[in-house]
Amino acid sequence: MNARRWVPLLAGLAVLVLLAAAPGIFSAFMIQFLINLFMMTILAESWNIIGGFTGYTSFGNAAFFGIGAYTTGVLVTRAGLPFAAALPAGGALAMLFGVAVGVPVLRLKGQYFAIATLGIGETMREVVYNLEVTGAGTGLVMPISRSPLSFFYLMLAILAGATLVNWWLSASRFGYGLIAIREDEDAAGAMGINAPLYKTIAFALSGTFAGLAGGVFAYWITFIDPDAVFKMSTTVQMIIMAVFGGSGTVLGPLLGAFLLSSVSEVLATQLATLAELFYGVIIVLVVLFMPKGLFDLIRRREFSFKYFARNLRENRI
Amino acid sequence: MLVLQVLVNGILLGGLYGIMAIGMSLIYGVLRIVNIAHGALIMLGAYITFWTFTLWGWDPFLSLPVTILLLFAVGYLVQRCILNLIVRAALYLTLLITFGIEVVMVNLARIAWTSDLRQTAPAYVAANFSVGGLTIPYVRLWVFATTVVLSVLFLLLMERTRLGRAIRATAQELRAARLTGIPVGQIFAVTFGLGAALAGAAGAMWGVLFPITPILGRALTLKSFVVAVLGGLGTMMGAIVGGLVLGLAEAFTATFIGPTYPNAISFGLLVLILIVRPTGVLGRGEGR
Repeated sequence: MNARRWVPLLAGLAVLVLLAAAPGIFSAFMIQFLINLFMMTILAESWNIIGGFTGYTSFGNAAFFGIGAYTTGVLVTRAGLPFAAALPAGGALAMLFGVAVGVPVLRLKGQYFAIATLGIGETMREVVYNLEVTGAGTGLVMPISRSPLSFFYLMLAILAGATLVNWWLSASRFGYGLIAIREDEDAAGAMGINAPLYKTIAFALSGTFAGLAGGVFAYWITFIDPDAVFKMSTTVQMIIMAVFGGSGTVLGPLLGAFLLSSVSEVLATQLATLAELFYGVIIVLVVLFMPKGLFDLIRRREFSFKYFARNLRENRI
Repeated sequence: MLVLQVLVNGILLGGLYGIMAIGMSLIYGVLRIVNIAHGALIMLGAYITFWTFTLWGWDPFLSLPVTILLLFAVGYLVQRCILNLIVRAALYLTLLITFGIEVVMVNLARIAWTSDLRQTAPAYVAANFSVGGLTIPYVRLWVFATTVVLSVLFLLLMERTRLGRAIRATAQELRAARLTGIPVGQIFAVTFGLGAALAGAAGAMWGVLFPITPILGRALTLKSFVVAVLGGLGTMMGAIVGGLVLGLAEAFTATFIGPTYPNAISFGLLVLILIVRPTGVLGRGEGR
């Protein structure tokens, strides 16, 4: 391994150290904003593993988030487990769910996979609505933690892990396998890649990070109900952040999450509906004008009208 | 007797699911787009009818042609101005853009009409009659009758007219259709318009039977898809049969398992069918 490959890792480490020092500098409001930003970034990166690298557009990743949140919530409130034990359990269950659901669903291609995952997300919400242990429709109230800073560091740690995994995927045999599956699954299979195994691992990895983020979210926000954690708009946000930045890249989701979270945070202070509307408009514009994402635009250094016009022409009837 | 009553309820609701799914299936069959905004179009139809009824007192059934025309125009424009630009893109992009359109429509509706529960409630909404111990609300019967009429009209349009033939030709072989002089861009827009019109009609009647909110479409998009997949995506007759199956499945679950379960059952059914038989129970051809 040559020295060049370590440059991004070192740069990442530097950013991490800077961020870790943030609580000493910023106000409490900023910290809350950063926690939310970290969470959205984790989700965008988690989606990127299955949707970006592997090319399987999951429309149900909010299910993982919800499972993580509810597992943590139920274990803390009903079983009296400490948060430190409940959170990993949430991540683990989300991972198991990824494997259990992934095995049958990842056999589906394209639109069938997308809709099946959409259905899974909605089914999970309905199931939780009907379960006693999860507090059904009323939700769960978590004990209030005394140290809000712990959420900051937890989210940051998970974010670092998710970024590391994305980076690893972009430069490893396993990651290349996923990209090969995205480009041409039959050919990948012919080259000796065990596609079902690879896809399932990718889906489970994606689920683990979303689940962990959900677990921290539950304890941070202290109240969860099915509508809040199994939101379709959570899935939409993950996807659009990843695609806006550039799906299938390491920096893309980071960039997308940072930019979109910031804008939507500002808009949400005006009106929550406005923030969602903004996402909708961004989705339409991004798909039309820069489907390869900001990262591609920056890499090509083609900041001209021509770039957008070419994208627009490419997929016209 | 209860079983018979549930059976009737299920079939009457199934007709409505049927025409929702015909629209979904048509759009998929011709454009190869899974239209996530379908439910938002249903919602729009519901609100148009609600407002024409509330503001001007138009009967929700008699105003159907107006709703249908308006929704056709909306669908036509969406396809013409947005989706035609992207129709050949990778699948996740077309899915994503209809998702974006859905989010925009739903949130505009939230801003314009708030998230309050509303219902189109004409005077006869609670009237019903009894046949041999079965209680049947008139509106449900009219809704069912209307869906039958609309389905028949739609099938005639597809099978017997030049336009229908052009749509079918475009669906079968885009390039050949274009070579024979069919303006495919136009046909795509008309097709989406027709799908939207059916969705709008379904929404108009949905608003008479149930309370409506701007997000009512989310679940209905999935249900339309359940039904379309049940019958085999892209086939029209399959959608009608699928609608009846879903209507029955929901009616029986609501009665015998619990009133909060129908959604869980129908979404679960969707996942199950996709896994076991992605080409649909009645469908055939390409799949995984």
